[in-house]
Parts: sequence; C-alpha cells; structure tokens
Amino acid sequence: MHQITKIAGYVTIILAVISFNFFLPRFMPGDPLSFLTGAPGMDMPIVLDEATRAKLLAYYGLDKPLLQQFADYMIKLMHGDLGWSTYYNAPVSSILAGRLKWTLLLIGTSTLLYIALGIVLGAISAWNRGGKSDVGLLLLLLSVGSFPPFFLGMLLIILFGVKLNLFPVFGAQSPFMAYSSPVEEAMDILHHLILPATTLVITHIGGVYLLMRNSMLNVIGEDYILTARAKGLAEWYILRKHAMKNALLPITTMIALRVGFMISGTILVETVFAYPGVGMLLFDAVMYRDYPLLQGAFLIITLVIIAANFVADMVYLRLDPRLRHD
Amino acid sequence: MTEKTIELTDLRRLWDTYSEKRIGVIGLVIMLVFIVMAVFAPYIAPHDPYELYNPMEPPGPDHLLGTNDIGQDILSELIYGARVSLFIAFFVSIVSGLIGTILGLLSGYYEHVGFFIMRIVDAFLAIPRLPLIILIAAFMRPSIWNLVIIFTILGWPITTRIIRSEVLSLRTRNYVEAARMLGAPDSYIMIKHILPNVFPLLVVRLVVEASHVILAESSLSFLGLGDPTAKSWGMILHYAFMYPTIYISDVWKWWMLPPGLCIVLTILSLMFIGYALEELVNPRLRGMTQV
Amino acid sequence: MTLLKLKRLRTCFPTRDGLVKAVNTVDLEIGANEILGLIGETGCGKSILGMSIMRLLQPSTRIEGEIIYKGQDLLKLSEAEMRKIRGKEIAMILQNPATALNPVLTVGDQIAEAIWLHQTMTKREAREKAIEVLRSVKIPSPEKMANECPHKFSGGMKERAMIAIGLACNPALIIADEPTRGLDASTKEQIIKLMKEVTEEKSMLFITHDLDAAAEICDTVAVMYAGELVECAKTGDLFGKPLHPYTMGLLDSLPCRGLKPIRGMSPSLIDYPSGCRFHPRCDYASAICEKKHPEMVKVEDRHYVRCFMYL
Ligand SMILES: Nc1ncnc2c1ncn2[C@@H]1O[C@H](COP(=O)(O)OP(=O)(O)O)[C@@H](O)[C@H]1O
Ligand SMILES: [Mg+2]
Repeated sequence: MHQITKIAGYVTIILAVISFNFFLPRFMPGDPLSFLTGAPGMDMPIVLDEATRAKLLAYYGLDKPLLQQFADYMIKLMHGDLGWSTYYNAPVSSILAGRLKWTLLLIGTSTLLYIALGIVLGAISAWNRGGKSDVGLLLLLLSVGSFPPFFLGMLLIILFGVKLNLFPVFGAQSPFMAYSSPVEEAMDILHHLILPATTLVITHIGGVYLLMRNSMLNVIGEDYILTARAKGLAEWYILRKHAMKNALLPITTMIALRVGFMISGTILVETVFAYPGVGMLLFDAVMYRDYPLLQGAFLIITLVIIAANFVADMVYLRLDPRLRHD
Repeated sequence: MTEKTIELTDLRRLWDTYSEKRIGVIGLVIMLVFIVMAVFAPYIAPHDPYELYNPMEPPGPDHLLGTNDIGQDILSELIYGARVSLFIAFFVSIVSGLIGTILGLLSGYYEHVGFFIMRIVDAFLAIPRLPLIILIAAFMRPSIWNLVIIFTILGWPITTRIIRSEVLSLRTRNYVEAARMLGAPDSYIMIKHILPNVFPLLVVRLVVEASHVILAESSLSFLGLGDPTAKSWGMILHYAFMYPTIYISDVWKWWMLPPGLCIVLTILSLMFIGYALEELVNPRLRGMTQV
Repeated sequence: MTLLKLKRLRTCFPTRDGLVKAVNTVDLEIGANEILGLIGETGCGKSILGMSIMRLLQPSTRIEGEIIYKGQDLLKLSEAEMRKIRGKEIAMILQNPATALNPVLTVGDQIAEAIWLHQTMTKREAREKAIEVLRSVKIPSPEKMANECPHKFSGGMKERAMIAIGLACNPALIIADEPTRGLDASTKEQIIKLMKEVTEEKSMLFITHDLDAAAEICDTVAVMYAGELVECAKTGDLFGKPLHPYTMGLLDSLPCRGLKPIRGMSPSLIDYPSGCRFHPRCDYASAICEKKHPEMVKVEDRHYVRCFMYL
C-alpha cells in the first residue's frame, strides 16, 4: 500500500516536470519562438543559420495543434530525442551523455563523503552534548555552512590552486594529455576532483550534521538506551548498535532530499571550476541562450534527482521494521 | 493598561532567554549592521554605484575598495547590494511564510484538503530548486519582481509542511477539543487557539527561509540571471568571476572578497538567529548547549 | 544474609526550579532470595531509587549515601567496574516495555548482546542461550520470535522479553520496575506467576503501585511516600495490620476495600511540607506532626514505621 502511493506520487511528479518543461517555452509572453530567433526585446539576440533554425522549428513543431505537439514531444522523449543544441550544433542528448558521467562522479564522491562525515560528527556532537567538542563542531559547521559554494570554490582556487599551486583549478582532466597508464589517468582525474568535491562537502556537511545531531539528541533520551545501559554495555557500543540506526531512520528521507538540493551546489561548483558536467552545461546554456540545451539539462538533472529520491524512499521502507510489510 | 504591562514583561523574559545564547546576540548585531547599510545606503555610500570612473583602480583614498572593470566604485556597489539581498530575502520569506501558514493551517485542520495540498508539497519538494529557478529565470525577463515571484512560489511548500505537522499535534490538545465541543467555528479555533501556538515555529521558519533566499538570489545573480539593473552581491561576484585575471592579480582581494564575505555574514547571522530562536521555541533543546 | 543494603541513600536533581529530592535518606535491606516490594503513589521516587542503585541517572544527578552490594559500595566503583555489575550482578527491568525495547533490533539480539558481553562464548552460543532464555519466560516458538523486532510482540510478550533481558546473565538481584503496569488482568496474573518462578533462587526489588501484585509475590514490603520510606514490614503484617496512616489509606483505596482515595495530592519533591510529610493529608495528624519530622521506629519484630502514633 505504502509503496503504491509512493510510486504513484513519483509518476505524477515526473509527468508534471515533463509537462512543465513542455509548456514553459510555449506559454511565455509574446511569440513562442521569439526567444529562439532573437526577437526585439531580448538582451542577447542570437543569430541562427537557416539549417539550425529549420531543425529547431521542426523539433518544436509549433504549426501543429498543442495536443499533437505534446504527443510528439512525449514520443520524442521516449526515443531519447531532447532536441538540437543551437550553441554546440549537435543533438542535446549526445552532449548530455558526454557530460553526465562527470557530474555523477562529482556528486557521487562528495555525497558519500559529506553524508558519512555529517552523520559521524552529528552523532559525536550529540553524544557529548554541551561539551567542548559539541560546541566547537556546532560553531565550525554552522560557519562553514554559510559560505555559498561559488564563493568558497573561488577562495579554494586562490588558496590551493594559485597560491600553493597544489591542485589544478579547472577541468576534469589535464588537457592534451597522453596517459601512459590507466592508473595515471585515474590519478589525474582524482587530482582534478579534489577541490570541487571539497567545496561541495564543506558547504553541505552542516545540514546533515544538524539533522543527525537533533535526531540523536532525541534518541539519547529514549528508554531503550537506558535498557542498553542497564545491560552493562559500553557507551561506544550503545552509540553504534542501539542509537545510530534509530537516529538515522527518521532522517533518511530528509538526507535524501538534501542530495536533491545538492544539485544546486553542483551547478555552481562546476561553473566555478569549469568542471565539464551537466551543471556547467546549464551555465553555458544560459550564457549562450541555448534553450533546447537548457531544457534538456534541466529535465535530465530533475529526473536523476527524482530517481535518487525514489531509491531513498524505497530503502527507507525496507530499513524500518515497523513499516515493512510481509 | 495592565494587559500592556504583562506583554512587556513577557517580551522582557523572552529577550532574557534569547540573549542567554551568545550566538543569537552576535547574529542580531550583524544583521542590524546590514539593515542600517541597506536603509541608509544613499547616505553611507561614497559614490553613485552606477557612475563610471577609471576602470580597475586599486583601493585608494577616493575609492576605498577600488573600481570594477567598467569603473564603478565597488564599495558603493557593496552598500547598495545590501538593499537588494535583504529586500528580496525579507519580502519573500514573509509572503511565502504567509501563504505557507494559511495552507498549513487548512491542510492540518481539514483532512481531505490536507491530503491534496500535501501531494502538491511533495511534488514541489521533489524537484530541485536551483535548476528550476534557472530555467524559469532564463525564460522570463530577469527583474527583481520576477525573482520575488519565483522564490515565493518555491518557498511556501516547506513552511506548509512544518505548520501542518504542528497543527496536527495541536488539534488533539484538550483546549482545542474543548473549544470544538462547545461549537466554536473552525475559523475562530484556528485563529484564536492554533495560530498563536504555531507562531513561534513560523518565526524560526521565516529566518531560515530568508537565508535560503539570500543564497538562491546570490547564486542566480552569480550565474548572470539576476536583475541587471539592480546591484546585488551575487552580481558583483558574477562580474568579478568573468574577469579573466581575477585569480592571478591582487584584484580579488577588493573585488571578490568583500561581496562574498557580505553574503557569508548575512547568511551566518540568520543561521545564528535561527539557531538561538529554535532553542527558545523548542524547550526540549533548551539548555543542551551553552553557546 | 544481606545481599544489598542502602544506607541513607539520597538522590537529588538540580533543576531550574530548585533541588528535586526524589529519594531522601532511604535505608533498606534485601536479603538473599528475598523479594522486597516497593509500593507508593506515582511520582514518589520508586523508579529513581531503582535507577540510583544501577547508577543509570544522568551525570548531573547527586547521589549520596551508600549502596552496599555483596560488601562493596557501588557508589565508589568506577564507571567501568559498574558496567560489570549491571546486567551480570544486578539487572533492571525498566518500566514501560513498549518504549524500553529497541524498536529496530531483533529481540534475540537484544538478549544475546548482554550474554555475549558478560560471558565468554561465541556469538552463536550467545544466540542459542538467548533462545533458551526466551523459552524460560514462556514465549511461544522462541526460535522464530528471537528473529522478530519488538513491534511483533503484544504488550504481555514485550514484558516477557524485558524479563528475558533481565534474566539473560543470571544475575543475583533483579530490580523490576512496574512489570505489571498496563496489562489486562489475566496477562498480569501470568506475568506475576512467571516472576515468582524465575526468581525462586534470586533476590528481587519489586517496584509497583499495584498492591495486589505486591501482596501476591513479595516477602517484605516497603512503603514509600514523597521520597522516603514510611513503613516496612513482612507482607502479611503490612497488609494485615498496616500501621502508618498512609499505608492504611493506600489499602482503603483498593477496589475490594471500598475504593476510598486518599484526600489531597502528593507533595512537590522540591519543597516538602514541614514535619511529617504526610500530615496535610493525614486524618490522625496532631500538632507535633506539623513541627517535627518523625524517625523510623521499630514497632514489632521486622515491622518499622515512621509515625508519631507509635513513638
Ligand atoms: N531528571 C529529573 N530531573 C528532575 N526531576 C526528576 C527527574 N527524573 C525524575 N524526576 C522526578 O522525580 C520524581 C520521582 O520519579 P519516579 O521515581 O519516576 O516516580 P515513580 O515513583 O512513579 O517511579 C518525580 O516527581 C519526577 O518528577
Ligand atoms: Mg516509575
């Protein structure tokens, strides 16, 4: 029952996002394609050659009735056709495909790191509530958490990239590099990953930390922790075996939602570090007013996040024995 | 008359408890400085922020923080920037807080309405905010009011959810049940009994939302999607970022650092205030930490 | 043979409103194989007394006096030494099994971890031992139920599981805090029967506000009022010949004796009434009760009472 409502909810959301993506350009005030052709009033007129223009018009199919357009749009989506990028002059889907792996790498590593660190630090903080380590961690993480990712990224570039010259400051790989071995390639990629990932970890750890700290403070007051103490168990064992899971359960979905919000940070960080992922593509699309690319990138990002949330929800249903149905 | 005095001593007590938390006081002081900066910008700023002087001047007696690539005085830009950031933050958090409260009250009080509204809230919360804002902002003409509308539309769902869950627990309290048994109309119960009790929670929420809006506004401006006619800290950073040698020369010290730090301090002060308020509102947390 | 002896035990909580004196100068003895009942109204400090013995209260709590267990003062032990006592020597069955069992761990694990901690055996053996313990508290199909989380257990089953945790390491003393609370009459009967059975060769401090249960299971009963003991006697004597007006009041409030509640409310544990703490509610109160605090006196062999009527 739980699962079915959840799944229905997700399907609705996906349909809503797709429809929104479809209607947004068509319902803008004025001529629907003025944003494409650079009609008067636009900040940055774009000049398109005839062939690109024709491709665009064919993709949007504005001469057909709206319902027909929507049906065509859905069919194209099913086939992975996201339209034609005016700036790169290539199919949006193939551009996205090349960029997605970098974004996933960046998000994946930093997410694992900041969730793990946030949970551990939050638990430690709560267990020593009121103590020096608790207050110190709280102040530190609240402070670093208020740095916008783009600003923090720029600071890290200046400090570690320019002044100390420890890490490369842009890109995901060294340009024009012939790697002698896969290990060398991996090291190069890692080298480029460290600064952007650090930026993301620092700016996102505070949220998880606070969630975990509050949740753990609740758990510490529970009777079953007392039962565990009454058995003579050691503090660290109680924390690990009895408190952790109970503190994590109520915040799993909230942490998962945060992973969704993290895409915002990724867009900014990729832009600052010129990291060639989907986020930077979004920035490029905005800069060059490449609307099909913008919409394609938006759709992919959103779908990936919704999928991630869905997985988190299902994991949650399995984790909590009270919700598990036999 | 007597009622007034009671209110005053109540406020006094609230302030005493609030000011026990040092970080709450620090947050308030920082926020006050920025508010003064925003309100009196024309009197404080040494120059008109749109006036063009020599470009790329380093800091000197005339331009304390130098000038940017087209010759505008950076210090003046910074002071006027407080206006945009704070105006959008407060306006959006109040309006979206209002909408969120009304919907939260309704959805907590009427089960069927609640179910319907919560599905919409779920949908909003499942969609990542910044990409959506970027998409809408890219299609609309960027202006302060458009930003305000976008942020408001995206801001109410969390408030609604928080208020609703509070209403759900308040609804079962004795005095609410009693009022209902006596036949008090729903609107009366909501305004007289429930609203005052969700109010503290709402205040915390407003502060948190304000900090989110500041972050979102500066991010959008940083990406070049802000209102081009309004000076904001994110916008200053956008132009600094686009400047080719920003990292290698010393320019960043006066062009990039100050607006960035302004954003950090504003968000930090809101976080401190929110944290202190939260402990004030949530007695369970009270006394756990002495910061 | 005395197993546990409390000497002038005082437990206080410093709070914003003042010092909460939850347990005030309690002297008590539990002999080997003795079952001692501790009865009193809700909020009089029974649970806090039990938790003080186990040293389970938050660090800010002030505990004074002596808790002599098998000749050593538990209050003088280090935290690590105390952990060796908890569960192994003295086990506490906390009140309210609905919240006292960890909702996300299987009941089998919650029993086995205590066994594994205190006895040298493999996890597998501990697990088998846990099933054995579950069987001894009469949980049906214990092999299966050991793998279930507490939400699969009914109220009575949860109480049995709590008892099983307490019994896991075969402690010498069990402190059971209201094990019959919230159970229906027949389940209560079963639990009492079970507790009688499993404590045949043990001592137990049986905390309850259920007088019938106390009468059925205890050898000795102590009556607590506002943090201190007011009467202590063998079960038959206490129920047959109550001396303290509070004890009489408690007995009169039983359904079989006419359901007559004691008038007034139990006092705050921050500022007690002067003199005898019970005097504002006492039908026999005289002038002296207001002024002087009575000491515990021995009236008959093993029958003690704190009241000026017997001085
Ligand atoms: N941590 C604490 N701080 C202050 N007072 C407490 C604390 N724990 C318990 N008390 C008070 O101690 C008194 C005794 O509680 P308890 O022993 O649980 O009563 P009972 O006899 O019903 O088991 C209660 O009045 C309670 O309010
Ligand atoms: Mg109790």
